[in-house]
Parts: sequence; structure tokens; C-alpha cells
Amino acid sequence: MFSVAHKTVFVVDHCPYMAESSRQQVECDVLTKSRAQGVIPLAPVSKSLWTCAVECSMEYCRILYDIYPRNKLVNYIVSDSEFHILNSWRQEDQSIQELMSALAAVGPPNPREDPECCSILHGLVAAVESLCKITELQHEKRTALMDTAERVANRGRIICLTNAKSDTHVRMLEDCIQETILEQNKLAGGSDRLMAIQQCDLVLVHIYPQGEDTLVSDRPKKEISPLLTSEVHSVRAGRHLATKLNILVQQHFDLASTTITNIPMKEEQHANTSANYDVELLHHRDAHLEFFKSGDLHMAGTSTRENGLKETITLKWCTPRTNSIELHYCTGAYRISPTDVNSRPSSCLTNFLLNGRSVLLEQPRKSGSKVISHMLSSHGGEIFLHVLNSNRSILEDPPSISEGCGGRVTDYRITDFGEFMKENRLTPVSESSHDPSGKLPAERAKAQLERHTRYWPMIISQTTIFNMQAVVPLANLIVKETLSDEDVLTCQKTVYNLVDMERKNDPLPISTVGSRGKGPKRDEQYRIMWNELETLVKTHAGDTDRHQRVLDCIIACRSKPPEEEERKKRGRKREEREDRTEKNATKDTDEKSWQDSERLKGLLDKEDQESEVIKDSPDSPEPPNKKPRVATEEVQPPERAKGPVSLLTMWTNRITMANSRKHQEFVGRVNSVNSKFELYQQLKDENGMDVHENGKASR
Amino acid sequence: MPTVVLMDVSLSMTRPVSLDGSEEFQRKNLAVHGLNMLFEHMSSNYRLEFTTLMAFSSLWELLVPFTRDYNALQEALSNLEDYDKTCVEAALQGVSNVVQQEWGSACPCQVVLVTDGSLGIGKGSLRHSLQTLKQRGDEKKFPLPFPFPCKLYIMCVANAEELQMSDAMDNLEELLRLSGGDGQIFTVEGTLCMKSVQAMFGRLIDHAYSPFLAVLHCGNLSADVQVFPRPEPVVIDEEVEPIPRTVSTEIDEVGTGTTDELEDEPSASQMAGKSPNFCVLLHGSLKIEGMVALVQLGPEWYGMLYSQADSKKKSNMMLSVFEIGPEPLPWLGKISHLGPISEAAENPYGEDDNKSPFPLQPQVKRSYAQNVTVWIKASGLQTDVQKILRNARKLPDKTQTFYKELNRLRKAALAFGFWELLKGVADLLERECTMLPDSAHPDAAFQLSHAAQQLKLASTGDSQYAAFDHNIVPMHTDFSS
Repeated sequence: MFSVAHKTVFVVDHCPYMAESSRQQVECDVLTKSRAQGVIPLAPVSKSLWTCAVECSMEYCRILYDIYPRNKLVNYIVSDSEFHILNSWRQEDQSIQELMSALAAVGPPNPREDPECCSILHGLVAAVESLCKITELQHEKRTALMDTAERVANRGRIICLTNAKSDTHVRMLEDCIQETILEQNKLAGGSDRLMAIQQCDLVLVHIYPQGEDTLVSDRPKKEISPLLTSEVHSVRAGRHLATKLNILVQQHFDLASTTITNIPMKEEQHANTSANYDVELLHHRDAHLEFFKSGDLHMAGTSTRENGLKETITLKWCTPRTNSIELHYCTGAYRISPTDVNSRPSSCLTNFLLNGRSVLLEQPRKSGSKVISHMLSSHGGEIFLHVLNSNRSILEDPPSISEGCGGRVTDYRITDFGEFMKENRLTPVSESSHDPSGKLPAERAKAQLERHTRYWPMIISQTTIFNMQAVVPLANLIVKETLSDEDVLTCQKTVYNLVDMERKNDPLPISTVGSRGKGPKRDEQYRIMWNELETLVKTHAGDTDRHQRVLDCIIACRSKPPEEEERKKRGRKREEREDRTEKNATKDTDEKSWQDSERLKGLLDKEDQESEVIKDSPDSPEPPNKKPRVATEEVQPPERAKGPVSLLTMWTNRITMANSRKHQEFVGRVNSVNSKFELYQQLKDENGMDVHENGKASR
Repeated sequence: MPTVVLMDVSLSMTRPVSLDGSEEFQRKNLAVHGLNMLFEHMSSNYRLEFTTLMAFSSLWELLVPFTRDYNALQEALSNLEDYDKTCVEAALQGVSNVVQQEWGSACPCQVVLVTDGSLGIGKGSLRHSLQTLKQRGDEKKFPLPFPFPCKLYIMCVANAEELQMSDAMDNLEELLRLSGGDGQIFTVEGTLCMKSVQAMFGRLIDHAYSPFLAVLHCGNLSADVQVFPRPEPVVIDEEVEPIPRTVSTEIDEVGTGTTDELEDEPSASQMAGKSPNFCVLLHGSLKIEGMVALVQLGPEWYGMLYSQADSKKKSNMMLSVFEIGPEPLPWLGKISHLGPISEAAENPYGEDDNKSPFPLQPQVKRSYAQNVTVWIKASGLQTDVQKILRNARKLPDKTQTFYKELNRLRKAALAFGFWELLKGVADLLERECTMLPDSAHPDAAFQLSHAAQQLKLASTGDSQYAAFDHNIVPMHTDFSS
């Protein structure tokens, strides 16, 4: 993390001699033949040594920032009669725009300035001081690793672009840097914001004009002291300097070059023809790992260019395909930067990729057979070179998941879990938004997963409530971290609705699941359903008072097993039942539930205070007087009895009771579903039970 | 990680082992016994490993190519023949070829070299190979380190004392060092016998072939899982003291994201009663929905689970391990800053699943996504100048483009301290002005001389005109009246 590549200081000479011309001329007035008559072409312009140095260093930074948008930092310093620091180590200062703006403010060197006052040394001393300054990342890591803070290293590189006088001059500069490091390291010991330099690599680039002989000799990297290494490059200004810095940025940041060849592109002049172009890209060299390791470089179309230092691997463009199955064997993705960013072929390729297309790249092999080894594609405005595995994969022919544990179970709640996953999807949360709980967003996501899975049966035959549409509103709400009063109300409505269903003896999905025959009897089904619902809500009841209120509601509303026994006989024992309802009512001491129904009264019909609770249930919107017998006699939520009774209800009760005394209700009508009753149920039930006991699947 | 078993079948392996019992064993028999034990372990606990069996003496032979068929490997072991002398270097070269041919050079491998520790004599011996290491050209390089990542396990059917009597141990240690990976030398502890060889192979199994068992958690749902191949510890370098990081055996699912891939072939599952497993449920839903699950493998270490189909019938859950770090995939941002969608005011995936909060755009555009100015090559500069001239000839229609290009050039020239160019372009514009045809709109001349004048002012470096953020604006003209 903190190699020398973390901090790079550019020190660029701004002394008067840098204003000298590089003597490399650029013809920028290209006259077309038709206009050439009588026009005197503009004299070619030539860049100064300073312009050459600045544009090449900007190109170095451009490539660096493209490939390492973070944590590879540049500090830019220019030196004349004093030093000028153009930016800081801070991340927001790390951009080409920032540096260009600061450079414009500095302007070219003033040729009339007194050369005696000017020196590159001012900048070099400032560079050492700057290397001692702690970066955001170093600070962050030092704070994070309090006990092991000494593990955070401080290394850096100084790239000095200057025009040196002689080899002796270079040695003097090296000695001076060495001394400054020692001095600064002493100072750094006593400061929070400074760190001693553990390693500094000096890269001194001596720039001289075209056509002159160099006064400084090249020298490979050598150790000046355990803290300082130094290398000297003597380069002519102009394209030689550009090539040199391109090579340096590759060396310094472990980059490699790939040339995409055979890119078909429409000709600018003749839109109906297309020619093939090459584009060179730089990227981390790990994208070539396969070639480097196998010594395959030459087979893979390597070519050595210019001064023999720069190598590129040639890969061939393949016509884009839409399916992305190859992604499965992608072993790495690396950011790229085009070497010649604003050339037409480069910008055509990058725009093509930025528009969402992908390009597969073929690797020419010695045998002639071609293998697709890489893919270019963009993600969020950044282009990546993807490495695809072109060899046999050790992951081939994996066993099917159905061969493993639980692989033969067939009634997984796949669709439900799909919905669950969708509800638990992630989204970026801005770092600035602070949560009162102090938890990071990912922690909150995990907490949500925890809440959502407290009761989550994995197979359809293990659950009743999750197979019931009627439970959905409650099931969705109860997992929430906090509930509003309205949420509690919705949950209670769900419960009342279930009560209503039970009263109407609606069938439950329990009996149709699996192949166990008829399954348990209906009242048993409801008992199972209520138990399951209670289990679900109990896992959340401790979260907040409102969660508890939902549980209280269920406990209060659900019919207890003894009651169900009673229910079977209710046709004959109506009076007893009424007594019991009253008893239940007196037992009901749950203030919260009571308060809720009080609140409901306000929300709902105030005139008919008895019927309001029935109206609660979303599935029974009809006025209660349509089914008076059902509404008043069947499973009344106990708290209802506590409330005042309307005249209408009292009257209806009385009439119904009187009527019921006159005859015994048919069993079928009592147990009917939507006024329908299946005959000879016992036979089926018995069969079903038998089958169930034997554990065999008939049907 | 595929395994290469490299078995020494030189004559020295036929040396008898003195035993108290009635039966007489050769070292080869002990080695075969140990390897059988390894293969049996792998067939039951490590059955997805690809293994090859090679035998060597002065030559080498590929007995069984990479396979998961452990019966075939055991079968081949029982038919080993005896050959001449030991030549380790040639055999390692063979390993290098076999592995690269099959897996390329990026796939890590384990090499189990089984030998008795007598490493040949004279030319071709390991001693000779190591002594001549530095005197070789590029053509005859020593095969170690292999081009692929490798763990070399040397199984000596001999005890350490025996090996230390000669320089065998030193040579093997040198071999291990050259291999570069973190391999190990195993020797027999105590007397050489069936039992001690068994124990030695037992140590190898514990060290290199123990299955990676973990628990996958998703809130309160969980499943025991085996991960194959084993995720190996990762050492983060570039720090002062590298810390190895291992995948935690408690895998936490953070949440889920959507993939681009959708598969429409449902897997054929069979009917039978067994207890449900969370992994199967998750796999099924990931497959149907075309989603991936993000998992946390350790502190700041993440990966993703997804359904991968090898054929139309078979599909399985695959774990991809990301590089260690808080932001392994830049277009997702920091993983720790991914929160539940329930916190968002509006579902970022849209009510109809028709959008996505990803990919995140970088704060600063890359150079190829913005219109940067590079004049390293003369053609870059020429193109930019010509662009301005082309637009200059189409004034006033192209006024906006003309000034946009002009300002781009101006900014770059100021940053590069290239004032000479500003003067040059100003001259060019003035010339264009004199060459305007009679039919030209009068505004063209005004704009050209205005632009030329502004460039000249900027080229003086006068802070009033040469400010970087300043833009030359079109001259306000009104020809309507």
C-alpha cells in the first residue's frame, strides 16, 4: 500500500535557461492545395524546454490518474528563485485540471530573470519536505492501526525535470537531497503531521535541446544511502522526452502495453469505406501475467519499438458479441489509458466502449489457432481490460447442486426467496449521510437481513401463513425495525381478517400442499396457522412496544384449542358459548388492544360502535346487518364484548337467539364455507389420516 | 488447485525395508501405500481436485493425465515398474510442461514429489543440477521456479537422520527454496515402516488436503458449505510487514445485487425426501432472478455467490472471491457503504425493476472520457489548429464551436507555457480575416479580429488576459438593424 508509488513529487525546473527553445519545430499551418496560392505559410512554432517538460509530465500524470484514480498521489513543484508548490497530497487536488490551472498561473520561465538566484535546489528541498507530509491515506491507516502505527510506511519518489550543468552538478544535487532527508527525518519525529522518509527514489531527467550534445551522462539506479537511490536519464527535449516519461510511468507503476490491432473504422473522408487501425493501451501489467510467466511474449505478437525499451503485446479485435457467457471465466479487470488519447482511432475505440459495447480480443498463437484471451468493456464510465481464462478450467464439470444436501427437496420457496432478495437489495449510500445508530450502511443491511429471517420457513410444506395472501400485509410489516401506529393498525386488521376467515371456515392452503392426502381437519389447520403466526410475530415482539402490540392482538384474537373443542358443539350449546364470550371479555385486560379499538372508533363509523370492529377487517366491507348472526355470534374478538353494545346489535342478538332455540342448526350449515358444505368428509378425513400415518403418498 | 504426483521409480526405491515382521517391503511399497491413502482421502473429501500421476527415473512418463478418477490413479500405482537412476531436474521439467499444457501458467498447482532421498549421482543428479545453476544459458534453465504458482511437497520415504548423513537434505531444501512457494519437506518420523509412512502422508493431508468447511449466513438462515478449491490465504505486500489474510470460515451474506446474465434453462431436480438446505434455496432463487449475492469473507474482504451452469442440466453455486479491500469493484463504490433499499426514499431499482443504482460514475472523468488536450505528437497540435481554422471559415454559423475550440487551445497553451503558439494562431486568424471572400458575413471579420486580439493579449502573460479560467467570449455584434 505504501510503496514508493504512493507519493510522487514532480520537481520541474523553471529557471531562465528552461525558456530556451527545444529546437523541435512544429508546422501547425497545414495549407491545402486549393488555398496555397499567394499565401505565406506561418513560420513553424517550437516548444521551449519548459513546455516540453510540462506537457510530458502532464502526460505522465494523465496516464497515472486514468489507471490509479486513488491513492497514487502527485505533488507538483516548480523551482526558480524560490519553490512554488502547485498542489497538495489531498485527493481533491489530484487531477489534470487542477495542475493545468496552477501551471497556467506560473507561466513560462522568465528569460530575463537573474540566473544566479535561480536553482532547482529550492524545489528539491521542498520535495523532500513534502514527502515527509502525511497523506490522507497514511493518516487514515495510522489512526486505524493505532497499536501498529509503525507499520505504515513513508516512501516516495522525486522526478526532477531539469537542465543540469554536468555530472558533478548532478552529484551535488544528490548530496543535497541526502542531507535534506536526514534533516527532515529528525524534524518528522516530533510531529503528528510529518513522517520520516524510509525510502526515496530520485529520478533525475536531464533535458537538453535538439542538436546539442549532452553534458550529463545516463546512469542506472544506484544506492546513494539506505534512504536514497538515484538514477539519471539524459534526454533530448521533444518526442524523446515524451517517450522516456511514458516508459518511466510504466516502470514506476507496473504498467504494460497492449496494442489492439485490426480495428475497423470508417474513414473520415470516405464514409463508406473502412480501414483497419491500431490503438495502444496501457494498463497494469498483471493483465499480461499469462504471457510473462509462460515466456510466450514473442508468440503473442510482442514488438519492440524505438529505443528497445518499450514493448507492447498485440491482440486482435474480434467483432463484438452480445452474450456475456465468457465473463464467467474472467480472472481480472484492469483500468486502461490510451497512449495517444486524442487520436481519432483511440477516441473511436474508447467512445465505442463507453457507449456500453464490449470487444473481445484474440491472441495470435504460434500454432496458428486463435484464442480469445482478453475483453475490453466499460463499467460506469471507466474502461477495463478483462483477462479471460483461455486454458482448461479447474472449475469444469462441477457437480449439480441437486446432488448435495437438500438437493432433492422440491418445494423450496424459490419465488418467495426471490422476492426476499429483491427487498434486500443494496444501493449506494452517500458517505456523508450519517445514521443515528452509528452503523455503516452495510451493517444496517445485515441487520435488516437478520430481522427478515427470524422466521423464514424454507419449503412450502413447512408453512401455512406464507402461503396465504391474507397474511401478507402483516408479514411485510412485522419485520420492519419500527412500526407506525398505522402499521400496527394494518397488522391488527390482518389478524381480524384471519379471525373472520376462521369464523367463515374458509379453507387454508395447508391441506392442498404436498401429497399427504386430505391433511388435518379445518380447526386443526387454523390452530397450526395461528401457532405459526404467533411464532413469526413473537420473534419480533421484543423490538418495540408496537411490535408487542401486534403479538398481543394475535394472542387475544386467536381461538384457543379448548375453544375449538367447544366450537364443534356450538350448534347445541349456544347459551354456554355466550357465557364464555362474556367470561373471556372480563379476562381481557389488555389495555393496548383496548386503546387500539378505542382509536378505531374515532377512525371509523362513530354511530355504530359495535360494528366498527367488524369493519376493521378489510375483507368484510359489507355492513354487519347483512349477516347479523355471523357478526354477533361467531368468534368475537374478546375485547369487542367489553365495548358498549348498540341497540341494533342487542335486538339482532335477541332475535337470533330466540330463533336458534327453536331448532338445532344443521351441522353442514354451521361448518359451511360460503354456504357450501362437502358431504361425507369423515370418510375422506379418515382415509387421509390413514395415509398420513403410513407416511405414504397416495393420490 | 490441481495436484501433480511425481513418483520416483528409480532402482533405489526398491531397497528393502528391514522389518521385524515376516513380510519384506520395498520403499516403493511404502510410498505406494502412502499415495493410496492420499488418493482415498481425496476421493472422499477432495473429489473435485484434478490429479495427475507421473513417474520418473532418468526419464519421465505421464502415467495418468489430470483426472478426478481416483480409481484410475490407484490402478496405475499398482502397476509401477522399476527403472534406472534418479534425475530430478528432467522430471521437474516434465511437470512444468504437463501443467502448462493443461492449465496455462496462471493456475496454481501442488506438486507432490515422492522419493527416497537418494537423488542420483554424477551428471543428472540433483546435486549436479544445483551446482551448475548459475552456469546456464536461457535454453537450459533449471525448471524451478515454475512459471505457474506452485506449492512443492517433498515426501521422503526416509527419516531425517538418514537424509542428513548425506547432502540430500540440503539439496532438497535448496530445491524447496528455488520453488519459491511455501511448500514443505516431509520425512518419516522414527523407524521406516508402514505406520510411520502413513503418519507422514497423514500430515500432508492435514496440511494441504483438508476440505474447507464454512458456514454461510444470511441473517438467521444458514448452511454448512464446503468451498472448493480451498480459498488460500492472501498476503498483502507493499506494507512494511505483510500480514497474511485468510478467508473467515463464517461467511456473511451482505445483500444481493442484480447481474446482467439471465438463464432460462431450469435445472432438472429429482424427487426425494431430504431436509431442506439454505444453499439450495438461495441457489434456486439466484438462478431464477438472475441475481448475485454479496458475501463478506473477512474484514474488508468480499466475494459474490451466483448460480453457474456448466451444462444445461447441471448448475451449482459458485463463489467468486474479490481482491481484498474496501472497494473491490469500483463501480459498486465502497461495499461498506451499500445500504438496504428500504432506507431509500424511492426504490432505486424502480417499481418495475427497470433501473439500477449501479454502476457508480467516478467523481473525476478519465482522460478518454473528457476532451483533454495533448500535443506530444505534432499531429495533435495540428489537428487542434486546423479545427479552429475550419470553424473560422464558417463564421458566424460556427461561432459557438469556433470559440469552444479556441478556448480549449488557449487553456492548454497557457498551462504549457506555450505563448508562442498563441501568437501564431492569432496571426493565422488575422490572415484568415484578410482572406475572407466578399460574400462572407460581416460578422466573420469582427469575430476573427476579436479572437486574434484576445489571443495576443493572453500571450503577453498579462494576468488580466492570461487567466486560466477566463474564456474568450464572442464579440457582441448586432447586424439586425
